[in-house]
Amino acid sequence: MSKGVHRFALLVAVATFFLIIAGANVTSHDAGLAVPDWPLSFGKFFPQMVGNVFWEHGHRMIAATVGLLTIVLAIYLQIREPRRWVKRLGWIALGLVIVQGLLGGLTVKLLLPLWVSAAHATLAQLFFLTTVSMAVFTSRSWTITEPKIFETDNGVSPRTLCVASLALILVQLVLGATLRHSATWNQLLPTGLLVAHITGAIVVTLALGVTASTVLLRHRDDRFLTRPAIVALSLLFVQLMLGIAAYITRAASPYQPQPLNPMIAVTVAHVACGALVFAATILLTLRVFRVLRVEKRTVGVLATA
Amino acid sequence: MLSKRAGLWLGLIATLGLLSLGSSCSKTAENTNEGSTSEKVKYTKGDVGTISGTISFTGAAPENPKIDTSADAQCASKSPNLTAETWVVKDGKVANTFVYIKEGTVDGKKLDDYDWDKPSSAATLDQNGCHYKPHVMGVMARQEINITNSDPTTHNIHFLQGKNPDWNQSQPNGAAPLKHQLNTPEQMAQVKCNQHPWMKAFVGVMKHPFFAVSAEDGTYKITGVPPGKYTVIAWHEGATGPGTEKPMEVTVPANGSATADFSFGASAGLQGQPSSLPLIAVEFPMLGKH
Repeated sequence: MSKGVHRFALLVAVATFFLIIAGANVTSHDAGLAVPDWPLSFGKFFPQMVGNVFWEHGHRMIAATVGLLTIVLAIYLQIREPRRWVKRLGWIALGLVIVQGLLGGLTVKLLLPLWVSAAHATLAQLFFLTTVSMAVFTSRSWTITEPKIFETDNGVSPRTLCVASLALILVQLVLGATLRHSATWNQLLPTGLLVAHITGAIVVTLALGVTASTVLLRHRDDRFLTRPAIVALSLLFVQLMLGIAAYITRAASPYQPQPLNPMIAVTVAHVACGALVFAATILLTLRVFRVLRVEKRTVGVLATA
Repeated sequence: MLSKRAGLWLGLIATLGLLSLGSSCSKTAENTNEGSTSEKVKYTKGDVGTISGTISFTGAAPENPKIDTSADAQCASKSPNLTAETWVVKDGKVANTFVYIKEGTVDGKKLDDYDWDKPSSAATLDQNGCHYKPHVMGVMARQEINITNSDPTTHNIHFLQGKNPDWNQSQPNGAAPLKHQLNTPEQMAQVKCNQHPWMKAFVGVMKHPFFAVSAEDGTYKITGVPPGKYTVIAWHEGATGPGTEKPMEVTVPANGSATADFSFGASAGLQGQPSSLPLIAVEFPMLGKH
């Protein structure tokens, strides 16, 4: 197993996280159409970075960097990674980043239709999921760990809980992305989507709370599992606080003459922290699947015993 | 069954197809015209009159917030003290109110059923000091709008999709004027600059020439109005909005004049879909502006 591959995969995941922050800045600054052409910016590779061009073209530059890094990672995996399925994951990541780039182009060409913008924001999270997973799969802790915890199938398995939490977080991220792109800073957020996103926050809190608590209670001595569970819970708390702050500042925003720094900072932090909650839950889920084995309990055997 | 690789390629091709479709859609939308003027007749009688009046503000006029133009050094240099133009009120009189005839009857025919001549000259929308001049304007449908950039920086002029399609063009400093026209009547088309998000303007697009924008002293005058009974609307953008409308019934006598005075207060609607959730307006002056 190559330490270099893992470090590079980690670099791609971290770069993707910064790309998500850059994308969130584009939305919060209302800079999505500051550069009206694509793939070049004003017909140039590097235009003058004034006003909102800084955010829009900056996002493109970081996206291009992540794209290049993903190409290198995919090739690196083919050379140094022995597991075929991990190699394949490298190509999947490359395919996703290409589609993501094209969706970014579509947002400009079609002048920010909601469905394209929301799809662009959603695919960003799916790509992030892929890069975080690759960083996990190539890590030493993943490869040296063997399945060691055996649970009987009484009650709900942490595996099921983790997958459910992960799916709910993804749905919540999609709702959040759609909400953000359904109204610019000077418009009120649509009530239906806002209520759905708040409801989603409650559901995710319950789901992730139960999942992390189950892991912490059942496997309190296994730091391989408790660490990501604690991180996920902590980030969830921060995310809820940021969500409240984002609502307050965003609600005030339509009354302002321009997007103000408090609203921008808080909403971008909310997006970034959402991605971190997602990443921590991905890590928890993958680790749970790595070490937990559920043994089928046979009623007949128990009866005999 | 398709292999996974084939599925991936199909996905890529589909996305590329959408990309090209999107480009073609945006072009065809610009060519949309509404209706035809072939069956309409011109009003040729010389007995036209005027509608005039004053727009007043009720109560204390709100202070327009200062705009932070520091994101673009050229804007900061040219307009260091730029403020929002929501309420341009002087001595209780309101500028930037768009007044127009919404409907009416002339010699038994609807006003919109006549063929009204477009002005021979283009309307001008200038980007000067990193704000639009004028802030509110009116044009007739299909009238040419001349868009100029008097600033030493690049702007992008973006007519937002309403009844007319989205139109987003970049205009560097020193570039030739851009030409644009709005084909469908709309009250009010919104214009913004995505590079400088504080920049916004409103354009009233009419089927007829009977509209005016109130001046700094709050006065307006609509000329060449045929005698008849009309519903006149005064529109103001309000706090954030697509604005507030005030209607008034007005009768214009032959060769005469009618007066229609309007007044506005500080309250106004918000643009976008209304939210029924409580809104909490919080300011963080210590953190500054973008």
